[in-house]
Amino acid sequence: MRLLRTLLLLFFTAGLIFLLDQPLSGLPALGRLLDPVNGWAAQAEPMGQFTSQDINLEALELPATVFFEERMVPHIVAQSEHDLYFLQGYIHAYFRLWQMDFQTRAAAGRVGEVVGERMAKDPRTGKIRNAVLEFDRGQRRKGMVFGAENSLEAMEADARTKLMLDAYRDGINSFITSLKFKDLPLEYKLMGFAPEPWTNLKTALLLKYMADDLTGYTEDFALTALRDALGTEQFNFLFPERRLQSKPVIPEGTAFAPASLSRPSSPPDDSVWVHFSSKAVARLDDYETAVGSNNWVLGGVHTRTGAPILCNDPHLGLNLPSLWFEMQLQSPEMNVYGVSLPGAPGIIIGFNDSLSWGFTNNYRDVKDFYEIERLNAGQYIFDGQSKNFDKRVETIGIKGKPDFTDTVYYSLHGPIMYDPSFPDPLGTGRLFAVQWMAHRASNELAAVYLLNRARDYLAFTEAIAHFECPAQNMIYADRAGNIAIWGQGVFINKWKDQGRYVMKGNTSATLWGEKIPVAENPHVLNPAQGFLFSANQITTDTSYPYWYNGYFHDFRSDRIYELLTATAPATVEDNMNMQQDVVSELARAGMPVLETLLRPDTIARAEWQGALNADSRDATRFQVFWELFYDKLWKKDFSGTLYPSPERTLDILLNDTSVAYHSAIVQAVEQVRQNWQDSLSRLAGADSWYEAKNTRLTHLARIDAFGYQHLKIGGWGVTINAAKPTHGPSWRMVVSLDKDSIRAFGVYPGGQSGNPGSPFYGSSVSRWAEGKYYRLLFLPRNAKGAQSQTHVWTLHPKGK
Amino acid sequence: MRLVYCILTTIVFSFLAEQVFAWWSLAVISFLSAALFYLSPARGFLSGFLSGLILWLSVSLYADIANGHILSTRMAALFHLPGATSFLVVAALVGALVGGFAGWSGALVRKYMLPAR
Repeated sequence: MRLLRTLLLLFFTAGLIFLLDQPLSGLPALGRLLDPVNGWAAQAEPMGQFTSQDINLEALELPATVFFEERMVPHIVAQSEHDLYFLQGYIHAYFRLWQMDFQTRAAAGRVGEVVGERMAKDPRTGKIRNAVLEFDRGQRRKGMVFGAENSLEAMEADARTKLMLDAYRDGINSFITSLKFKDLPLEYKLMGFAPEPWTNLKTALLLKYMADDLTGYTEDFALTALRDALGTEQFNFLFPERRLQSKPVIPEGTAFAPASLSRPSSPPDDSVWVHFSSKAVARLDDYETAVGSNNWVLGGVHTRTGAPILCNDPHLGLNLPSLWFEMQLQSPEMNVYGVSLPGAPGIIIGFNDSLSWGFTNNYRDVKDFYEIERLNAGQYIFDGQSKNFDKRVETIGIKGKPDFTDTVYYSLHGPIMYDPSFPDPLGTGRLFAVQWMAHRASNELAAVYLLNRARDYLAFTEAIAHFECPAQNMIYADRAGNIAIWGQGVFINKWKDQGRYVMKGNTSATLWGEKIPVAENPHVLNPAQGFLFSANQITTDTSYPYWYNGYFHDFRSDRIYELLTATAPATVEDNMNMQQDVVSELARAGMPVLETLLRPDTIARAEWQGALNADSRDATRFQVFWELFYDKLWKKDFSGTLYPSPERTLDILLNDTSVAYHSAIVQAVEQVRQNWQDSLSRLAGADSWYEAKNTRLTHLARIDAFGYQHLKIGGWGVTINAAKPTHGPSWRMVVSLDKDSIRAFGVYPGGQSGNPGSPFYGSSVSRWAEGKYYRLLFLPRNAKGAQSQTHVWTLHPKGK
Repeated sequence: MRLVYCILTTIVFSFLAEQVFAWWSLAVISFLSAALFYLSPARGFLSGFLSGLILWLSVSLYADIANGHILSTRMAALFHLPGATSFLVVAALVGALVGGFAGWSGALVRKYMLPAR
């Protein structure tokens, strides 16, 4: 009896320990996590105790120094290129390891390996499926790894980027190998996995992840369905290829060099197009969350000091740990400051001691879909001949479950992304291959390498020529006073409408043709108007000789144009204020018309001028009204597909010629009147604009406790300060390129540390929301003053 | 008095063991100390329980105060607990229970194998 009791208790105790040592039904391994010695409390960073250190690193070639500011911005001073990128990798990993790991796993479709199964309703089919697996399959099927492998080959073939990649990888791995369980970022302890060695492929994957974020839309399906359903005339009226009053990125009237390629003629008949029998319902959530950005540059004639001022605020997903990591990189050949992407070497957006540059998404369409006519399991038809598929077997890990094997068939157009087992957005179950610029072997890292070192406009153009995908509007200013902008990327010389809709894949008539020479990409240097700007609007006026389509937006660019042409010589502060501008062109122009129809009710107080300020109630009233009205107006005909853009909707609202829609508009206003009042009363007590919209920072693993909610910030996607609920200005930068120095200011939503237990995890959040900036400390070369910085890492090559 | 010595020993050696081994070394030490100090099963439990509680609570308090409660507040939110303090207590209770059962087991095993002194 005593033996039994003893054994029972022993068994129970061992069982308790065993259970607490494993993750169970969504819970982390509680014993490991809650143990303060090696678990959670090891990541509770002591306040104000980030100290100077001497670190020995075997792989370093020469001694190096890293100065840290109060807010943890590192300034790396290295004596060789190898050491510089090695230390950048080491520091990225030091602050952001879990994020780098997780994002590249996501890019590669390997989330299931660490997250396991999450059952949810599939929006395409309505069936309950493992949502994580579907995500992973989607990544594989769209060719993320395929594209990354292609690019990796190109990057490793270039000695400059090979050195950069290798040194960066070694730096990360040198940090990873120094870690014990205790030192692992908290998310590893919560999610129960451990870092694996970094590879150059992971860096390539991260760059493709950005390309996917910025060019990965599937709206071709919806447009195809709509064109068939509406008929040409109505379709063109509601979904025009360009908005006539757009202010293009390249100022109207700029002379383009004659095209060296002639535009291919469109196929003579309808046989190249795919049709969808009924107006199918498309899933377009990826389109609606479309990201945007602003950049502009003022030439010296428009600034108080006579020096150019360059501004950039790329709008991306608002996550924690932040997408960006701020730093300065200094080597004998280079001195550059800006934001980097943890997971990739170099500075992506910023300035060096000669010039500054910034990006917005270009939005020209570089992703097209082809229907594949399958002959048998291994072959398809092309120009009447049979062709063999290449097969790629994708093994997808699911934590706690057997692997899932997915075979992806590659046609000459690209991988078959959609088939009956993975249906397209319309749910037809037919076979569609995707042809995408991001599949190609491009070396964007070479652009980063050269850009960071560029001294003048010529070097800038040589650098960005390597930037193929995602295409960006690259804005430029230098201390000599030049300003410029390029709609840069690699584009295909397309025939009109090629790739705007889903095409037949069984004919060479739809194949992508030649690349447009990069030198013929739209660009302008020192335009007469003395300023340049881009905010995802169309790149050129109609005089550009090549045809293209895209997903362009106008409200922000219209407002930027208005402000840039209105202000007297501007200061840095004026530009900062412009980045905080929350005036909605949509509200300003649309409200009078809507109010006329809404009488006797009024939307907002008479004095309201359309500013979506954080504490404005008028803003809430208008925004709620507009959302309801817009939805009501188009829902009947376009539910589940693509609505005509808000820009187009406003034009129809304002334009006398839209008689056809007048009664629909009147009706929609009447129908939402009551609903609108009800919605507003439901908001009672929390009806200021920032409370109603809830701009938030979401942790990458969707851990609510590690995020921020209801940030007090105004704006919307249509305003310059484009703070939407989960997207917004991810880095605000204002750079004044004075003759004798560079004065730069910046802020991003988050903090330098990726550790939720660090004081630097969210240290810039409120400053960002308030629209305040940090003066960026740009150390000159051989700065002795740098020694006064708070924290210094002195790095020694071990044994040298 | 033996109980107090046992607790002190458990705390010190668990803390040291956890520097090298995983979190469950707390259980191993509680088990061994309860056996070596010839505690009764009830006192074995008490010793392990208090050792786990005191050790985990003091280590986490030390870290938490230096951290300005940043992480404990987030952890509390993660576990839907009302505040940082409640998280610290709940976390330490896990250590206490593990220590307690291990101490009880140690005492029982000792009693079974070496019933009298």
